[in-house]
Amino acid sequence: MSSSTNLTLGQYFKNIQNAALSTLEGMAVTFSWLFRRPITIQWPDKIEKPLEETLPERTRGILEVETRICTGCLACQKACPIDTISIDMERNAETKERFIARFDIDAAKCMYCGLCVDACPTGAIRHTTLFAYATDNIDNLLLSYVDKGEKVTPFRPKDPQPELRARGSIGKNVLERNLKSKN
Amino acid sequence: MQQRKIAMVKQELKDLHELKQLYQPVADEMLVNMGPQHPSTHGVLNFLLVTDGEVMHKAVAHVGYLHRGIEKIGEAVEYNGFVPFTDRVDYLAAMSANQGFAMAVEKLASIQVPERAEYLRVIATELNRIASHLVANGAMAMDIGAFTPFVHWLKEREFVNDLMEELCGARLTYNYIRIGGVAFDCGKELAEKIVKWIDHFEPMVDEFDRLITNNEIFVQRLANVSPISAEEAMSYNLVGPNLRASGVDWDIRRDVPYSVYSKFDFKIPVGKGFRGTVGDCYDRFVLRILEIRESCKILRQALATMPEGEIMAKVPKTIKPPKGEAIARVESARGELFYYVVSDGSSKPLRVKIRAGSFTAMSIIEHLSKGVMIADLVAIIGSLDVVAPEVDR
Repeated sequence: MSSSTNLTLGQYFKNIQNAALSTLEGMAVTFSWLFRRPITIQWPDKIEKPLEETLPERTRGILEVETRICTGCLACQKACPIDTISIDMERNAETKERFIARFDIDAAKCMYCGLCVDACPTGAIRHTTLFAYATDNIDNLLLSYVDKGEKVTPFRPKDPQPELRARGSIGKNVLERNLKSKN
Repeated sequence: MQQRKIAMVKQELKDLHELKQLYQPVADEMLVNMGPQHPSTHGVLNFLLVTDGEVMHKAVAHVGYLHRGIEKIGEAVEYNGFVPFTDRVDYLAAMSANQGFAMAVEKLASIQVPERAEYLRVIATELNRIASHLVANGAMAMDIGAFTPFVHWLKEREFVNDLMEELCGARLTYNYIRIGGVAFDCGKELAEKIVKWIDHFEPMVDEFDRLITNNEIFVQRLANVSPISAEEAMSYNLVGPNLRASGVDWDIRRDVPYSVYSKFDFKIPVGKGFRGTVGDCYDRFVLRILEIRESCKILRQALATMPEGEIMAKVPKTIKPPKGEAIARVESARGELFYYVVSDGSSKPLRVKIRAGSFTAMSIIEHLSKGVMIADLVAIIGSLDVVAPEVDR
């Protein structure tokens, strides 16, 4: 480098001294970390609570649907920019009643932007704090919140509020069922 | 598929051939590929090096490996739906990318953003700037052989990520700044947490200085390495920290004030040859550290003076701006981020153009690389803070 030319002997030794001293100072910083509390944790084995329970309230994990208060308005499906959500609304030919025949969320495709949650009028679709769902079969990540053949009557806002399931429990059930049946 | 692959290989060979024709390699000269899978290229970048083994005669950057057509996607999704895509423009400073697009659409649809939302935007983007500079400097130090600072810097960035997760629910692709305001409010508890973190972080920066910035070996490795003069920087359209390190005093936050930046008192650090020539790799490194300190100052002021009120303007569910076009410029961590949005009156943009800082930073590498050692190329890429997805988009 250019600094190595035209050096007097004194400067040369001063450079060496500077290099040694500043390196030792850096070493001292590193050494001081021996006596500070480590900030790493050993996930998932050595932690007190599951991480899912300690994550912040707003954490955007996989989506779940509380079908008991879903109005079937398709607002979430329209809000999704990448067509992750597919809902089929069908009509009973005799009674003319609408029902939800399919409510699929492709967790492999979802980018967790939360636009569907903003669009939902009743808060039926929501984020859980679940995040660890590695699998070797991508079909396991297709989350069906309405089973095949099941007919879910849409919720009307005038109806009395049904009992809601805990946040995260619905998504966990569907995921675990997927992992059990298809693997 | 097979034919396309063959065509691509043929094109590559043609490029190589052209390069050979252009340079007529003399004896002892060879062509070497660096990347696209190389630990120091930060994503998938490819360089074709004309070298005699140690000294580079030329390094030609090949871009496009991460091209996802985000601008084209902008024409296919609605205005609100495009905001999560802007996260992917620059994953290390996604907040600024959000803000740029939101500001352009707000101009188009003449939406007035509430003041509290503007403050929250400043807080979010400055936190994000700190996180981004920590990665930039840490990765640069790691590339030239100092691994420990990288780990310490990522540790600090992890705290920022935790704060971000508490603020908006995501750690990397936030989708926090929406058209008309922000998505979530920042409670008192969280504001106190951020202040507490700054109190912890500012002494940490001093510790980093002791650990690596003032290390004589590190300084000698970077000082006087490929300096960029102010004229060169401006003629190559460099932006952000790279431009300021060359001694050009230009920052959108101060010179074209947007949001509520004009209310805060902060300095714009400028490179002045801290240990070598103006605009060398060490200047760019130090400048980012100085910017981190300034960001801490802005954060403190913003958190202390944040007014109460709404966080979201009254925006219709489907935004349909009137016919017209708008531009917005924000100072992202990698410099000026420019958005140009054209509306034809429908719910989808007619055209979205994004101009990002990393692309021009890539283009200057070819000019800088003449007569530099191969090992210095790593320092140049690191100091220019090139992020591959922002180059290609």
